[in-house]
Amino acid sequence: MRGWRSVLAPLGAIGIALVALGLLLLLLGADPLRALGALMGGAFGDRNALENTLLRMCPLLLVGLGVALAFRCGVWNIGGEGQLYLGALAASALATRVLPDAPALLLLPLVVLGGALAGALWGGIAAALRVGRGVSEVLSTILLNFVALLLVAYAVHGPLQEASGAYPQSDLFPLAAQLGLLPGTGRVHSGLVLALLLPAALWFGLFRTAAGLRLRAVGLAPEAARYAGIRPERELVRVLLISGGLAGLAGALEVSGVTGRLFENLSSGYGFTAIAVALLARLHPLGVLPAAAFFAALSTGSGAMQRVAAVPAVTVQLLEALVILISASFALPRRTD
Amino acid sequence: MRFLCMLLALVCLACERSQDAQPEAFQVGLLTPGSIRDAGWNQSAYEGLLRVREELGAEIAHQVTRTPQQVEEGFRDLAARGFELVFGHGFEFQDAAAKVGREYPDTVFITTSGSTVRPNVSPIVFELEQATYVLGYVGASISRRARLAAVGGVKVPSVASTFMAFEAGARAARSTVRVSVSYIGSWTDVSAAREATLAAIAEGVDVLIHNLNEAAHGFFQAVRESEGVLAFGANRNQNALAPEHVLASATIDIPQALLLVAREVESGSFQPRSIRFGLRDGVIQIEWNEGLLARVPADVKREADALVTRIKEGALEVPRAGF
Repeated sequence: MRGWRSVLAPLGAIGIALVALGLLLLLLGADPLRALGALMGGAFGDRNALENTLLRMCPLLLVGLGVALAFRCGVWNIGGEGQLYLGALAASALATRVLPDAPALLLLPLVVLGGALAGALWGGIAAALRVGRGVSEVLSTILLNFVALLLVAYAVHGPLQEASGAYPQSDLFPLAAQLGLLPGTGRVHSGLVLALLLPAALWFGLFRTAAGLRLRAVGLAPEAARYAGIRPERELVRVLLISGGLAGLAGALEVSGVTGRLFENLSSGYGFTAIAVALLARLHPLGVLPAAAFFAALSTGSGAMQRVAAVPAVTVQLLEALVILISASFALPRRTD
Repeated sequence: MRFLCMLLALVCLACERSQDAQPEAFQVGLLTPGSIRDAGWNQSAYEGLLRVREELGAEIAHQVTRTPQQVEEGFRDLAARGFELVFGHGFEFQDAAAKVGREYPDTVFITTSGSTVRPNVSPIVFELEQATYVLGYVGASISRRARLAAVGGVKVPSVASTFMAFEAGARAARSTVRVSVSYIGSWTDVSAAREATLAAIAEGVDVLIHNLNEAAHGFFQAVRESEGVLAFGANRNQNALAPEHVLASATIDIPQALLLVAREVESGSFQPRSIRFGLRDGVIQIEWNEGLLARVPADVKREADALVTRIKEGALEVPRAGF
């Protein structure tokens, strides 16, 4: 059965990637044991490390779910990064300009939902271009990333710039627009709960509802689906809206739960790493959870690798890219299996 | 499966080793927003960190932090490991420094530029204005048409402030001088910098200053292509980039600044404040291009040197934007 294979293949890929990482460290003249120890310590070693990993897991999980869903439907959404930024932008506009004085009970849901809607809108542009003009969503989503980044740059240098005008960043969110912390943690925001519930919800939607069946049918064979009375265009629009919405939600949670401000370099490429997350998860909503945890741990651990083991930043980036490449390519489900 | 077990064993071994006791050295950390091989802002901070290790025997750690969250993680982890001093290299480190500083009162957090001051958080403020003021004075004195220009990257207060001082210096020399200021909206766009510079020159400007990062190459390209034009370098000694045109550079000795602060913290004499470094501390300098000094009349050079002395003595307050 493919059940156990879909678990073992990603695990094997992670194993291969970690061994390759060790070998490469050796090759580069670093002490691989010390570096890997730092990596593990930095990701799980103490409470701070664990909280860091959880915080990074949140956007990877949300964007990764959206990417997995879109890929399932045969829609190549490479625009997670831009959709995330647009979500953050909308959330910041709402929190610092449109409704800064609204009570928390109203403002917080508006900020979070507004972010998700903006992300969905960004995905929707790609959908409209595909359905209306036949523009490949691979191109349009990639290019819309740049538009989103520049929009954020414009916003923090212009209309959303902090009142003092000193730095290219938004004002600090009013407290009513900031997500509360999970009890017992120092920094983990409550949005994580939402993110953790979503894989199961999306699993149910994808495998236990008619809508999910339609979506998967289009991904497997669009023309056969059309013959069965499903309209692939409608599924494409729907899945890009959901996918963009999830990324937008991730962006909103980042600004309202982690930074409390909008910056230009808010994301460390979450939208791109999320593609690797989805592939490592073999596009399964439940698999996205451990896959996001793995990449989050890699990312927090690599910071510690610089600080503790003095591995240069460029080497760390090289290693991260290598792990993404190996784990994604070895875990990729074959279309024929 | 077998290599997974081996891997696990390897990792356990590694964890074991990383828990060795730390020696009791002075520990200094640095977070930079970009690669330390950028031949500029970040590299100079890392050189400062190395100098701190060399001169104070400190144990050092460095990390590149590109997002606000990485910054917070870096600050928190170094503080938790007992680092006495952590530098965040840029204004964008202020929020995280204030936040983590509250949790770790025994660690001093220094941001290079910024304005946030807490009991254990202070910014270093580079008074580059002192040097650009003097260069403005020189520029206005030698400009044939009394037309000067300044080309900036992004209009942020720290850059606008250096141009304001440049203009004030120019006016002090010659009240009729015209200084045009333009911003290209990017730190890295070489061709935009070149075009903005050529545009200014086409309008009759013959002395220029800039405040750009990588885009400065475009500025110097334009200057090299234009006959009879003189220019000033900024932030680093850029005299060699156009040796026939660059008369002097207003430089920041970032390594020196880091070392001065590290000395304070190590000796226990550190006081939280806006740590201002200018000409007097040797952190800000005017570095002349000896090959072109002949183009400066002797009395202008003398007046410039006198200005430097008066600024060092505190007799002359150079205007700067409050930010």
